[in-house]
Amino acid sequence: MTADLSDARDRELVQRIRRGDGEAFRGLFGRYAPSAMALARRVVRQPFLAEEIVQEAFLAVWRNPGGYDPQRGSVRAWLMGMVHHRAVDTVRREESQRRRVEGSQLSDPVVQPDPAGDVVDEIGLPEERRAVRAALDELPAEQRQVIELMYFDGLSQSKISDHLGLPLGTVKSRTLLGMRRLRGSIGGWPR
Amino acid sequence: MMRSHERIEELIAFRSIYGLDPQEQAELEREMASHGPDCEECRRLEIEYGEVGGRLAFALDPVAVRPGFADETIELALAEAPESRPARAGGLWRPLVAVAAALVLFVGGAIVGAAVFGGAEVSQQATVLQLEPQDPALSGSVTAAFTPGERGIYLQGAGLETLPQDRVYELWVITGDTPAAAVCVRPGEDGSVFAFADSQVAPDDLLAVTVEPSSCSEAPTTPPIWVAPVTSR
Repeated sequence: MTADLSDARDRELVQRIRRGDGEAFRGLFGRYAPSAMALARRVVRQPFLAEEIVQEAFLAVWRNPGGYDPQRGSVRAWLMGMVHHRAVDTVRREESQRRRVEGSQLSDPVVQPDPAGDVVDEIGLPEERRAVRAALDELPAEQRQVIELMYFDGLSQSKISDHLGLPLGTVKSRTLLGMRRLRGSIGGWPR
Repeated sequence: MMRSHERIEELIAFRSIYGLDPQEQAELEREMASHGPDCEECRRLEIEYGEVGGRLAFALDPVAVRPGFADETIELALAEAPESRPARAGGLWRPLVAVAAALVLFVGGAIVGAAVFGGAEVSQQATVLQLEPQDPALSGSVTAAFTPGERGIYLQGAGLETLPQDRVYELWVITGDTPAAAVCVRPGEDGSVFAFADSQVAPDDLLAVTVEPSSCSEAPTTPPIWVAPVTSR
């Protein structure tokens, strides 16, 4: 019920953005920028690059809100998909400069209040986080590992194969099995 | 008989978390084309794995943005509104004719002494239109060439923004208020495109490019981002 409500709110915000409503853009930014920033920082590991990615993604929403098709999924998946694509593109472009996977790991992101920020509209998001984390936790460790390396580290399958010392076919089969489970748990649409 | 979706599911699943290599991406496009735009199962797979790919982000704790970042981004966005934003849906095409006519960089005329366009041989009487970006932030250029009175439009683009894997650029020929799909293209890694559309244009038509789902659309689902009127001088 909460997910339905928050999805409906998101769709309404995008509809208003299509009409040039700046307050709706502010609302969508306030609601999703912290999650987008977490994703971008996790993938690119550099705060200034993460800011660029998040800003680009939201400006892309403002410029082309019609890119969202309500028949093809939720606003949050669409928005985070854009952030993720940009972040992984950035990482792969800057491969030579990026940190070694084995090396520095950022400490887990910590929520800090933005003293100048608006009150964040978190309706539905805590439930969303619980659902996604539960879905990941239910995966066998080896499936979760390859999916996390691909998604959160932006590694290609061949890089993962090298990194873990596994045959490429094993990486692919683990990824597919894990993704099938995730599809069953968090892939439903409409919810 | 139900077609197997085993391989296409695998490729779509990998794509949703950005795990396809270029060969697999090409294979997925071939598979999708062979299943056709009306493949319901393909569509379901794309939607459901797309949800997984987007929602995985929420496994992370949110990170507060730095003070001022929200205002900077919102100010940047609002600075573009409303007049410099791309045209919006609804009453979409007709106002663009006037706007594009005022903005178009080069319209019409024979290409004297030139018979090659993007590597293709075209009539020396071909008309070349440079489409005008509807957003100043758009990168690259889009050009179309056709011979008046004959079928066929060559579309060439350079330096274009790459698109998400489930999106393509689609060229439209708009007569009055009625858009007709011409061709879908996906830019290469260098942002270049070149395609041929078996379509015909007439004076006072409008050429426009929109971003559409990779299955291509029968009618535009997003506002045009590149536009040029077909005018005679």
